[in-house]
Amino acid sequence: MVTLPKLNDLGFFEIRLESIGGLGANLAGKMLAEAGVVGVGLNGVSFSSYGSEKKGSPVKAHIRFCYPDTKIRDTTPVERPHVVGIFHESLYKTVNVISGIYEDSIVLVNSRKSPEQLKEMMNLVGGTIAVIDATGIALEEKNRVNMAMLGGLFRLCDFLDPETMRTVIRKSLEKKYPHAVQPALNTFDRGYNEVVFQTFKVPEGKKMPEYVRSDTPILGYETQPIGGTITNPGNSILKDLSISRAGMMPHFHEDKCIHCAACDNVCPDFCFVWEEKEDKRGRLQMFLQGIDYQYCKGCLKCVAACPTEALTAAREEDGYAEKHRVPHRFQLAANQ
Amino acid sequence: MAIEIKRELSQGKVEQRVVFESGNEMAAYAAHQINYHIMGYFPISPSTEVAQFLDLMKANGQHDIVLIPADGEHGSAGICYGASTAGGRVFNATSANGYMYMLEQMPVQSGTRFPMVMNLVCRSVSGPLDIHGDHSDLYFALNTGWPILLCRDPQAVYDMNIMALKLAEHPEVRLPVLVAYDGYFTSHQKRKVMTFAHREDVLKFIGEKPPTGFPISIDRNNPVTIGPYMNEPDYINNCYQQSMAMYRAGEIYEEIRKEYAELTGRDYPKLDLYRMEDAEVAVFLLNSASEIVKDVVDQLRAKGIKAGSISPNIIRPFPAKEIAEALKNVKAVTVGDRADSYGGHGGNMTNEVKAALFTHGNRDTLVISRVYGLGGKDFYAEDGHHFFELAIRAAETGKVDVPFDYHGHTPGDPDKAPKRVLEPLKYEDVKTGLITVEKDEETDELKVRVPPLRQLTKKPKRIAPGHGACPGCGIFSGLELFFKGIEGDIVVLYQTGCAMVVTTGYPYSAHKVTYIHNLFQNGAATLSGVVEMFHERKRRGELDELGLKDDFTFIMVTGDGGMDIGMGPAIGAALRNHKMIILEYDNEGYMNTGAQLSYSTPLGHRTSTSNVGKFQGGKLFHHKDTPQIMAATNIPYVFTGTEAFPQDLVRKAAKAQWYAQNEGLVYGKILITCPLNWLSEDQLGTKIVEAAVNSCFFPLYEVERGKTRLTYNPEERNKKIAVADWLKMMGKTKHLSKPEYEETLKAFEEEVNRRWERLKAKHENPYL
Repeated sequence: MVTLPKLNDLGFFEIRLESIGGLGANLAGKMLAEAGVVGVGLNGVSFSSYGSEKKGSPVKAHIRFCYPDTKIRDTTPVERPHVVGIFHESLYKTVNVISGIYEDSIVLVNSRKSPEQLKEMMNLVGGTIAVIDATGIALEEKNRVNMAMLGGLFRLCDFLDPETMRTVIRKSLEKKYPHAVQPALNTFDRGYNEVVFQTFKVPEGKKMPEYVRSDTPILGYETQPIGGTITNPGNSILKDLSISRAGMMPHFHEDKCIHCAACDNVCPDFCFVWEEKEDKRGRLQMFLQGIDYQYCKGCLKCVAACPTEALTAAREEDGYAEKHRVPHRFQLAANQ
Repeated sequence: MAIEIKRELSQGKVEQRVVFESGNEMAAYAAHQINYHIMGYFPISPSTEVAQFLDLMKANGQHDIVLIPADGEHGSAGICYGASTAGGRVFNATSANGYMYMLEQMPVQSGTRFPMVMNLVCRSVSGPLDIHGDHSDLYFALNTGWPILLCRDPQAVYDMNIMALKLAEHPEVRLPVLVAYDGYFTSHQKRKVMTFAHREDVLKFIGEKPPTGFPISIDRNNPVTIGPYMNEPDYINNCYQQSMAMYRAGEIYEEIRKEYAELTGRDYPKLDLYRMEDAEVAVFLLNSASEIVKDVVDQLRAKGIKAGSISPNIIRPFPAKEIAEALKNVKAVTVGDRADSYGGHGGNMTNEVKAALFTHGNRDTLVISRVYGLGGKDFYAEDGHHFFELAIRAAETGKVDVPFDYHGHTPGDPDKAPKRVLEPLKYEDVKTGLITVEKDEETDELKVRVPPLRQLTKKPKRIAPGHGACPGCGIFSGLELFFKGIEGDIVVLYQTGCAMVVTTGYPYSAHKVTYIHNLFQNGAATLSGVVEMFHERKRRGELDELGLKDDFTFIMVTGDGGMDIGMGPAIGAALRNHKMIILEYDNEGYMNTGAQLSYSTPLGHRTSTSNVGKFQGGKLFHHKDTPQIMAATNIPYVFTGTEAFPQDLVRKAAKAQWYAQNEGLVYGKILITCPLNWLSEDQLGTKIVEAAVNSCFFPLYEVERGKTRLTYNPEERNKKIAVADWLKMMGKTKHLSKPEYEETLKAFEEEVNRRWERLKAKHENPYL
């Protein structure tokens, strides 16, 4: 029997995957769990968060491993993970991705940044940060992010046998998609090999933060209007959906825009900001001002719809959205 | 039940194998081994996966079960009932509101004594909508006359599904049996599960074929009358027979579970007792939470506290005597109910446990009642500790301070109470005057004027950004484009579906205008109630104080799934001709629940319940022609549209509003993309629906006061493309270009063409 590196009070080694829907974290979680249970004979359980989460929304996958004689009774989400796998770097903006980690937990991040940069961004007090450029690898190998992340996770979970995973990849792909086998294997292997680690000790006088139960609501029975009625509708504008972009975004080039509204007609997320101004002949007319990137999920339908080259597709670069965002001018109640 | 695999391998007599699967997978796995004859089903989370897994297995040729996609749960229960009268083996799975919708069928199934097995994947029955797990649906099942078996983990789901059929078909029982397990906690968590290695061994245990000797509906030599008109004084006797059969089911269950234990090494006595032998305090819970509480028991025992856990494996018949016996020496027990019986001073389990104690002479054990874990709120070990603390305190003091309460509810921080974020839309902003619709008094025809769409960007959108739809979702671009054509104030009602779920995730709402959600299927009826109340209150002068500048335009928004299950209410509202618009966004499937087929899914298309495999090539029947069905109700205006033809859609919206304000009900269908489940590129959404129009699969037309008019004819514009050219843009239809699906493609093309030619004929002739 393999040895699990750490166990909690109930005898579990626990892993939490943080992602947005569509990156394959759920599938990666299942594969990871199967590699432990079917592959090396551990006992285990795996499940995901379920709800109205759609593609692009934050999702979690949970895996618990234990020795075969440990009884699995807990169905609650993993609150104190030994390993966290973050499939999408910018998730930290809206989700406390490192919630509940121990000072000897390992946090694997899909990123091109350094462990120090990530430590600052995520407000990590102590622990080990492991970095893998899963998106870059996936693009280069023409494969999926989750395969590279799985490679990284196998490296972190050294009780698992990467050869099991390679066999699973071969078996599941070779019949239907034989040409996809080698890219998947390369992506997995590069994920496994290219992880960079750095451990941060908890500074003297500082403590790891307490975890907050994930089922703590914002409102309560004394503050919630009766019947579940939402009395401040339209408050979804407070949400930041920029984390839904999985790498691509539209760029707006005002000089090429003919203000035809083709983009506005097809945008599912109402990101285009317009303003009434005088045209050359002095008549009032609507002019496209730009994109409110806070809500843009990067679907690029607008780029496909644009009859000129005023909208183009580009890979998301750090800071671009913040710099070029044209915010909507909502009629806010607080301003009245 | 936590399993020790080694022990069972040595104890069981039958050859078994281990799988690593979820509760839903195990229900499907057991059903496929049993090889039921019929499953009539309808998608609802979290039980839908059961049908999905079975469909996938069917596509791979692993079983012969006839899977019938119903028009709603009421329909699915009807299919199951009918099938069971014909003597074969019948299976179903549902949850929550789906169970409610079929509820009236349940006592018929049991009262007329036709066995079947249904899995209830427990979920909250609620308004506002909650899709997560509690036992409020299960509690409704208590009075239906079905024996109810409970499963605490995926292993039990498998085992109970096999025992359930044997119990249902037993000649002295002859009752439908419910197998209940916790939504998500059990249905979606993968565990190690032991299964029979061979289907023959399963059939040997339950019986090769269903027992004969009982009336069936398809025996010409023995015609029978099933379901007569039976009042007093006979009805009570039928009930007595049923009551007797139910208690007998308890005894037969004992026999079956012993036989099963011998075969497999896994035993499910009526009560799952954990460290109860000398327990002084106990916690009574159903299903998954009762597993978690065992860890708590171990922790308390380590501290010297004599704690125990008690959880039934069967609750109908209720093991009252066994519970009284198990609690004989217990000083105090906390009963946790994962559903309230509002006003009952305790949930159903509390009151049944109390009754059991009273009936069997135990007046000493103190009972504390707590409602917990509603709507999927997790039950942590710390919650279990709290339950034991309550019991310990009662045991120490000899009294129960607070006999009934909730656990896990939170008061909330007053500083975070909801505050209005946006000002309501200004009337003059939405009533722009940019669009005009006038009736030509001479020709009686409507003259619609729509400006260049650029000008309409001035109009504020009715839906706010920040909703959680998938990137590239076609719903919201389609809806807002339609709304661009609507002037003035609107009130919207959304039926259950993606648009509803992603815009109203509490405490957020993306609707700037007033929005209502009722149920999946009842929107048309609900909105017609709103419409009539508006007009009646206005007539009585009661709305004067609201200062309304104009009538609202009432718009119901529904998916194609909502128009399946809600077809009846929609037709009812249409026949009554209320002044409202029904706008259907059609993405060709039940995308909110995981891409199951809807009746609007075209032939051969892949969905999660019309899989593509060696033995099945996507959906088996043609797509529903909803606009034609609605046109047949003779409402004033019916239309189709897509965002790919924006001017056309905005014009139709303007007309729709005029008819909804002046004449009566309007129905419109917009085709919208679902990149996630069409397996297509996000950015191609508009192009794909454009291709659907140009292939003549989705013609743009209107039926105005009975007269059909094509508003765009791809043939005349030289834009017509082959159906196959549209289909190759989506992953869900890629297989149709392969030679082995040539016939399906041909049949689909022929149907598209037939409908198109018929439409052209209607366009030519005002009487068609």
